Amino acid sequence: MTGYAGDTVASALYGAGVRIFGRSLKYHRPRGLYSMEGESANTFMSIDGIPNECAETTELRAGMAIAPQNVRGDPRRDRFGFLNAFDRLMPAGFYYHLFHRPQFLWPLFQSGLRRMAGTGVLDLQGDYGTGVRTERYLNADVVVVGGGPAGMAAALAAGESGLRVCLFERRRQLGGQMSWRVRDFEGEPLYRRAEALAARVRAAENVKVLTRSLATGVWGENLVTGFTVGTEDDPFRECHWECRARTVVVAAGCMDRPLVFNQNDRPGVMQVGTAWRLARTYGIRPGKSVAFSVADDLGLEAAIDLDDLGVRVRFIADARESGQQDRAVFQALSDRAIPFFPGCAVSRAVGRKRVRGCVLRSLKGRGSRRFHCDLLVANAGMQPRIGTLATANARLAYCAHTHGYQPTELPPGVFVAGSMTGLRDPRSIEASGRVAGYGAAVWCGDRAKSGARAAGRGPSLSPGRASRAAEAAVREAKALPGPPAGCGIIHAPAIGRGAKAFVDLDEDGTYKNVKESMARGLDVPELAKRFAGFGLGPGQYRVAGQNLAMIMADLRGDPVETAHATTVRPPLGAPSIATLAGPGHDVHKRTPLHAEQAARGAVFRRAGPWQRARHFGDDPSCRDEIRNVRTNVGILDSSPLGKFRIHGPDALKALQRVYISDMRKTRPGSCKYSAMCNDMGQLMDDGVVVNEGPDDYYFTTSSARAGATVEWFRFHTRHDGWDYNLVNLTDALGSLNIAGPNARRVLERVTGANVSNEAFPYLACRRITVGGGVEARCLRLGFVGELSFELHAPASCVPYLWDLLMEAGADFRVRPFGLEAQNCLRAEKGHVIIGTESEQRVTLTDIGMGWMWDRENTVSKKVGAPALRACERQPGRLKLVGLRVEEGAKAPRDGTLVVDGEKIVGYVCTTRSSETLGWQYGLALVHREHAFPGRRIHLCHEEKAGGRVTSTAFVISPHFYDPRGQRLRS
Amino acid sequence: MSWLRPSRLWRAAPLKRHYEVVIIGGGIHGLATAYYLARTHGIRDVAVLESHYIGFGGSGRNTAIVRANQRTAENVRLYDEGLKLWPVLTDELDFNLMFFNCGNLNLGHSEAAMNAFRMQASTHNLLGVKSELLDPQQCADVIPGLDISDRLAFPIHGGLYHPPGGIVRHDAVVWGLAKGASEHGVHIHQGCEVRGIDTREGRVTGVRTSLGAIGCKRLGIMAGGYGSAVAAMLGIELPIHPLTIQAMVTHPFKPFLHHVFSSGAYHVYANQTLKGEIATGAHMDPQVNYTTDATAYYLKHQAEALSELMPALRGVRFMRIWSGLADMTPDMAPIMEGELGCDGLYLDAGWGYFGFKSGPVAGKYMAEYMSSGERPEILRAFQLKRFLEGRYSGETASVMKYGHWD
Amino acid sequence: MTFRLTCPVCGKRDVYEFTFGGQERGPRPEQDGLSAEEHFRWTQFRLIPNEPQEEWWYHGQGCGVWFKTTRDPGTNREVK
Repeated sequence: MTGYAGDTVASALYGAGVRIFGRSLKYHRPRGLYSMEGESANTFMSIDGIPNECAETTELRAGMAIAPQNVRGDPRRDRFGFLNAFDRLMPAGFYYHLFHRPQFLWPLFQSGLRRMAGTGVLDLQGDYGTGVRTERYLNADVVVVGGGPAGMAAALAAGESGLRVCLFERRRQLGGQMSWRVRDFEGEPLYRRAEALAARVRAAENVKVLTRSLATGVWGENLVTGFTVGTEDDPFRECHWECRARTVVVAAGCMDRPLVFNQNDRPGVMQVGTAWRLARTYGIRPGKSVAFSVADDLGLEAAIDLDDLGVRVRFIADARESGQQDRAVFQALSDRAIPFFPGCAVSRAVGRKRVRGCVLRSLKGRGSRRFHCDLLVANAGMQPRIGTLATANARLAYCAHTHGYQPTELPPGVFVAGSMTGLRDPRSIEASGRVAGYGAAVWCGDRAKSGARAAGRGPSLSPGRASRAAEAAVREAKALPGPPAGCGIIHAPAIGRGAKAFVDLDEDGTYKNVKESMARGLDVPELAKRFAGFGLGPGQYRVAGQNLAMIMADLRGDPVETAHATTVRPPLGAPSIATLAGPGHDVHKRTPLHAEQAARGAVFRRAGPWQRARHFGDDPSCRDEIRNVRTNVGILDSSPLGKFRIHGPDALKALQRVYISDMRKTRPGSCKYSAMCNDMGQLMDDGVVVNEGPDDYYFTTSSARAGATVEWFRFHTRHDGWDYNLVNLTDALGSLNIAGPNARRVLERVTGANVSNEAFPYLACRRITVGGGVEARCLRLGFVGELSFELHAPASCVPYLWDLLMEAGADFRVRPFGLEAQNCLRAEKGHVIIGTESEQRVTLTDIGMGWMWDRENTVSKKVGAPALRACERQPGRLKLVGLRVEEGAKAPRDGTLVVDGEKIVGYVCTTRSSETLGWQYGLALVHREHAFPGRRIHLCHEEKAGGRVTSTAFVISPHFYDPRGQRLRS
Repeated sequence: MSWLRPSRLWRAAPLKRHYEVVIIGGGIHGLATAYYLARTHGIRDVAVLESHYIGFGGSGRNTAIVRANQRTAENVRLYDEGLKLWPVLTDELDFNLMFFNCGNLNLGHSEAAMNAFRMQASTHNLLGVKSELLDPQQCADVIPGLDISDRLAFPIHGGLYHPPGGIVRHDAVVWGLAKGASEHGVHIHQGCEVRGIDTREGRVTGVRTSLGAIGCKRLGIMAGGYGSAVAAMLGIELPIHPLTIQAMVTHPFKPFLHHVFSSGAYHVYANQTLKGEIATGAHMDPQVNYTTDATAYYLKHQAEALSELMPALRGVRFMRIWSGLADMTPDMAPIMEGELGCDGLYLDAGWGYFGFKSGPVAGKYMAEYMSSGERPEILRAFQLKRFLEGRYSGETASVMKYGHWD
Repeated sequence: MTFRLTCPVCGKRDVYEFTFGGQERGPRPEQDGLSAEEHFRWTQFRLIPNEPQEEWWYHGQGCGVWFKTTRDPGTNREVK
């Protein structure tokens, strides 16, 4: 198949003679080219292996692979076409009343239904969404949605006022409906006028024009999203936009409101715009002999134009009895001797696989007449494209004059212009754009001026002149023709019982289905939508929305003004997941020692925002790493540890508020270990606080809490007006931990400071100089239960310290250890990890850390203290205990339950078979009633039904290793 | 051939000025309660008041996933009974609720997550609810197309597979229950917005609505996300925060996703509807609100997550996003309470993410509670007072930061 | 809804830059004589009618200030 530059897949296929593009979802009816903007799924096909691509909006490229979908064989001879004959057996929601009896058959039916449903086939091994996908975030004064005459006029008016304008247009060219209209406008054809406007817009300095760019919605406070489809010359395939705008001008235009008549879905029935654009934009004769059933002057103009292009127009039916505005059009009709039938509409399309003729009826009388034709252009007039306004939360109501939805209340900064307001006169349409553009300028106020000056842009209007220009534009618009009366036809005449008059194409929803929904009591559009699928297909509300509301109002006997349409949901036009996802950067943090650890075979895992070394080498159980710390010396990269400085006159008050201990007891040169709770007394964080001088403290938090600590302090002191400064040093300082009986000997080799047990005891904190020049804070802590020193130094110096220590420790065979070794080491010591040994059912006291709590202090209003008091003696609480697992065939694992008979009384948080201890220990949360030393408890886990593993354990103190803490004090 | 003779699913009933029981909220909780009150307990003088149309709220906005793989025994028991009700109700109501028993797979992206799954699986199996720990390869066997490589920011460590779960057609549940309730004499009033609640001498006496005052002896607040706003009419403070939760669907495809999958680390759950769309959701904005506005931010977030977890989905397009309200409690377990300091007043709220799957079972026990005045044993774990005693249910492990739901 | 909030330092910014801190409910209660129920009620129980409420927000992705603003939960807009 061949096409021309500028063709869409659909226009090229049509030009090549294809008339049946696919099959419908439910009845497998043949479907043709109905619209040009993807208003239905009629032309969905597989394009280059991607299913559900819309042929109407996909530009033709050389070498494309195009295949039909949801058909068995050729779409012209679909083997499921027989389903069409059974439509009477499938009323709206029939499946709710079928297939469930007998119940055992339902899965069978269900599987059949699932296979019949859906359209495209996704290949799970397929390589989709390739190519560059970018994302851009803009700010603009004005976003214009729609590049038709009104949108262009608005962009020009706003741009010349000095505003930054961004215009979204889905098509490849600007101009909207003007770009294919040839009728005379002030001495030149309309499309010339469109070209001239487009040239001015493209030349305007402040206007960023995005063509091939669909605006997918307006979200809160004028955030406009959209996506641009790249061309072959672009470096990207698709680009996702988010544009925060001060104002939005919606000039989205109109689309045909489908005429609901019998067999209105036949290939060969199409919108006015479709036939017209095929002829004018794409140079394809849409048919040989065409019938028109329209309800708007634009339809008449299209018919005349097609006639001029050599298409034989059989007749024009106009659902309006009168009200045709355009005298020139009347004259043109009679000049060409085209039969014209006012007050009539087509009531049936004839032909099985494509249109061969139609039946015309008067809306009032009874007579009918049959015509031959191979193309039937039908609509019930035009309806505004309300999607953008609806997503912007504009209040819309049915307008009985224009017979379309019109805004009754616009959100702040949202303007509307163009034919969607019901205007038809080209001058009025442009003028309405200017009114909106200057209106936006006035709204933006003086910022427009100063912004333009600051940016050194060209001439701009002062606010005063902008408002004068706005007033002038309003005056000009008022002098021009307003919106003409629209047509309120609800459906074509004579929809009998057997009629297949489609209200929704994608879900095969017919007029009869609407009636069936009503009969079930689902009598508002939202319920009918859910019951029978109206507007749920890929075209969404576009085809069904307004008609469904009008039909239901009519069937209820309500005036049409009361018709409430279903809610329009974004995104308007479907963006692909690949485009929304964008380049998909994995944003994470690396510690200053990432490269050093990688070089030593670190296996990294994500921990919060960090990549951290879980273990080194290929033993995930870390046996050697653990042994090395217990018997020799290891080094841990602890850089993600939260590190903070708090200083100022009220620093101590703040510490007293958030820490549960008495923080007055911090002393210079020593670390005080404490914890933070939330108001429920649950453990939030733990770490050490060092008094570094008057009103000056240094403290650490767990790495998981580092990001939330400033927020936490300031939240809990927000009412107090205290004077303190809090600085997050987490990323500025790296840290490493040298742990093990030989830790001191290694450290001594790299520092001149006295690190002996006497000069530098357990829990001391000193500033020492390492490696001849690096000043580091050195904290003597014991999380892993051994003699250990933690060095905190500027992040850039930490790799140097690492190298130094590795070298100094070489004869000791110092080696790094990772998170899993640390996890086992600390668990042997009975130290908890937040979130592992704590959860929302336990307080600080429950996990054995209640000793920290300064219970006498109520003045500081410590966070969590009242909850600790309230829960302290409650029966039935979970308590943290140590377990010594009895040797047996099967060992418990993390997550194993503690059971009492069939009752669950707790669970094991961490358990390991310890080489150090020579037995398997566990930390478990167990109901108080079982949580006393010496109790023998039963453990069980069942990872798969029937695969129960049971074991037993004794409750003991959780301080399994070195319970008196001699090693860390050595 | 009854499906060919459309008749009203529920009767249009006259609005009486007094009912024995009034239920605020025409979602599945309210309708189920009304249904069981009338059917099981013989209380037929019941009105369900719905401010919009039935199923307007969370009942029609969820992703229709049902399961019983909760964290604690109390919750597993309740949801397991709820899960077993779908086929029963389908038969009782003579309405196809389209229970698709496809099973759910929760993905774990860390060792800690897998340990949590071990605890959950053990709890489930101990209670006779099937669950199974899977390794990454088994996950990919269940959900073809999952990326189990270590290319992911959070690689898949394994999963918790729960065969009894699946999806149900949510609207069908609403209409089926409305049909059933109506057949037993319940009046359903749509477009009836409650604006005030009347009490006298510590007893509830009725409600003031957009359609006038309606008296009642017992009142059930079952208004989903709007429950806290309704309770506020009586000045009742609750540990409930209404938050928007969003969901979206893609274009329809031939079936390729045969189970529900979810991922905590990526904040995603997804399933393929009977019609072939991928329905997916999970994101919640943290600020309390009563809007049902969707966000551009989340559409993008979901695309990022899905394209990582299942790369083939990059070729799929999103068709529609919407949002509904979730009434979050700090421990992610509900509140079913009849002791609110006002006789005759009952509350069924705080279901958060779990309001859909629990609807029928909550209705069953709320009906028992409201008819007898005696709290059913199974509801003991869901009393309001647990929050005043600092005893969380443990349905989630994570702790709250500031007390509001975060 | 992708609404914006007015940070007293940075001006109008996208809501995703902020952390929600809940309703304003005054300073922390005195702990002397505070009953368990009073404490837990103050901590977790809220009256949330569908009308504007004063609440706390933290500009975490910006200047790091906690501030109060009044927002309508029915529209997600700040109310002046």
